[in-house]
Amino acid sequence: MRGLFNILLANRKAAIGAAIVAFFFLIALAAPLVAPFDINQRVASPHEAPSAEHVMGATRMGRDVLSQTIHGTQTSLIVGFAAGLLVTVLGTAIGVTAGYFGGKVDEVLNLFTNISLVIPNLPLMLVLAAFIGQTGPFVIALIIGLTSWGWGARVTRAQTLSLRQRDYILAAEMLGEPAWRIITFELLPNLISIIGFNFIGSVLYAVITEATLEFLGLGDPMVVSWGTMLYHAQSTSALQVGAWWEMAAPCLALVLFGSGLSLINFAVDEIANPRLRTVRVPAKVLAALTNRAANQGGRA
Amino acid sequence: MAFLLRRVGFYVAAFIVAATFNFLIPRLMPGNPVDIMFAQAGGTLPPEALAALKETFGFIDQPWPAQFVTYLKSVFTWDLGLSVKFHPLTVNEVLLRALPWTLMLVLTSSLIAFAIGSLAGILAAWRRGGRFDSIGAPIALMMQAMPPLVTSLLALFVFAIYWPVFPTGYAYDPEIDPGFSLEFFCSVFEHAFLPIVTMALAQVGGYLITMRNSMINLLGEDYIVLGTAKGLSDRRLRMAYAARNALLPTVTSFAMTLGASFGGALVTEVVFNYPGLGYTLFQGITARDYPLIQGQLLIMTLAMLTANFIADVLYVALDPRLRKG
Repeated sequence: MRGLFNILLANRKAAIGAAIVAFFFLIALAAPLVAPFDINQRVASPHEAPSAEHVMGATRMGRDVLSQTIHGTQTSLIVGFAAGLLVTVLGTAIGVTAGYFGGKVDEVLNLFTNISLVIPNLPLMLVLAAFIGQTGPFVIALIIGLTSWGWGARVTRAQTLSLRQRDYILAAEMLGEPAWRIITFELLPNLISIIGFNFIGSVLYAVITEATLEFLGLGDPMVVSWGTMLYHAQSTSALQVGAWWEMAAPCLALVLFGSGLSLINFAVDEIANPRLRTVRVPAKVLAALTNRAANQGGRA
Repeated sequence: MAFLLRRVGFYVAAFIVAATFNFLIPRLMPGNPVDIMFAQAGGTLPPEALAALKETFGFIDQPWPAQFVTYLKSVFTWDLGLSVKFHPLTVNEVLLRALPWTLMLVLTSSLIAFAIGSLAGILAAWRRGGRFDSIGAPIALMMQAMPPLVTSLLALFVFAIYWPVFPTGYAYDPEIDPGFSLEFFCSVFEHAFLPIVTMALAQVGGYLITMRNSMINLLGEDYIVLGTAKGLSDRRLRMAYAARNALLPTVTSFAMTLGASFGGALVTEVVFNYPGLGYTLFQGITARDYPLIQGQLLIMTLAMLTANFIADVLYVALDPRLRKG
């Protein structure tokens, strides 16, 4: 694990991505301390433009947009990580079980995975959220987690199927190791890059989906999050009256946080699959290679 | 043939599962499902219509299995009930009125994104680590992290409100009569331009990355080395040897992305006030029009299944191994 961590830090993309995500974590933890204004108080005139006092301007209700965005980070991060964890746990459990036990178990689980993949996620979530009514952040996390595990399960199953044929798994089976031990000590450590990739991707997906559901009016409008900020801005026609800052702040937060996560994921992908790297060959090495090819009279 | 038949069987099963969700969700909520589902209907629907609507959704004086059969019968005869918000229209009529607009947005944007993304992916993989690759791949990655919600809002603000180059709503200018006239087509194009571009932007990065990665994995194969050794032209090697096989994973991802893109269309249409499924659904959500919300799940599932079936047919065409099976 330590080795993996060092490799990740040595990769520039991963380091930048991790820094961005860490920044949002700090903001979320210290939200009451760093937010300049009380989010429940009218502290400015309606739709006040950005100024030195209100860096991101104010909403129609005269709330400070920057403070709302900072507090919204808490909600978005909690929903993102809770839903991401749920998606990863479900996907990994279903994928590994299907891949390891095979036969009838695999057939049934794989059928469910494939069905969950062809039923469009967002429309299904809309039906669920609409019936539940005013959905708070935790319910949204639950809805996302329960509907979005399909992709992770499919990828994990495929990888488990290929690992299952390896000699060391056979050896463990010959030794009479129980299935749970083979799965936890032989299979899972070798699936770690896929599980990590799945987790980070799911967090990203969950943060975006939460914002989307809330924007469509399916969240709890009393909770402050990036999604409800966009919802309120949309319902008060913020863009149409020129108050772009009300939308800009949560959008910027979404994009920045999303970029941080995807940078980490891109790096994980590169580390797991070295062929995909975009590293440039150093000029000296390239020259040496070309010279050798030229000397040997071959085509470079 | 056997392969395609098996797939069709699977799609029917998936559709039944989607219908089961519709059947179970209101019944699993705390409280009386009939009251929840038709809470808003009392005001707009006459009593006879409400009674018929209840029967469509299987709310009859019989145990659950019989209710389920009644509901499935309605679904498979494509009787989706009455819309509460758009009374006296049926859900079917409301959805069919909106569907063509959404299909146009989704298909056009997906094809554009697929063509551009795959070509760019081929080029990026071919000169891996080159200038195009080291700029293109990270940009594609960043674009994937851009939620469709954000790109739509940005495009709306910049190109429709700040510089009013494009309209802020509707599918065509209401002063023009719909018909086969140049004026009408121009108006439709003008209104669809921003939604299509934002939706294509959301997908293009994904195709680039999928194609690039799948192509890079193939370029290490022996048959490519052999092709180089035979002295085949770069172009032939790239397109006919590598890209053709690298396209297989992209076709699968095309079908999957199409589903996501229906979801993206929901958001984009709301932002642009575009009268497709998403915008209609948004109106349904605000009015708690449950028959409409349930109907859209079925129609979106159907669209998704059709896309998957087309991908299956393409797969058979691209991968000769499947033709015998």
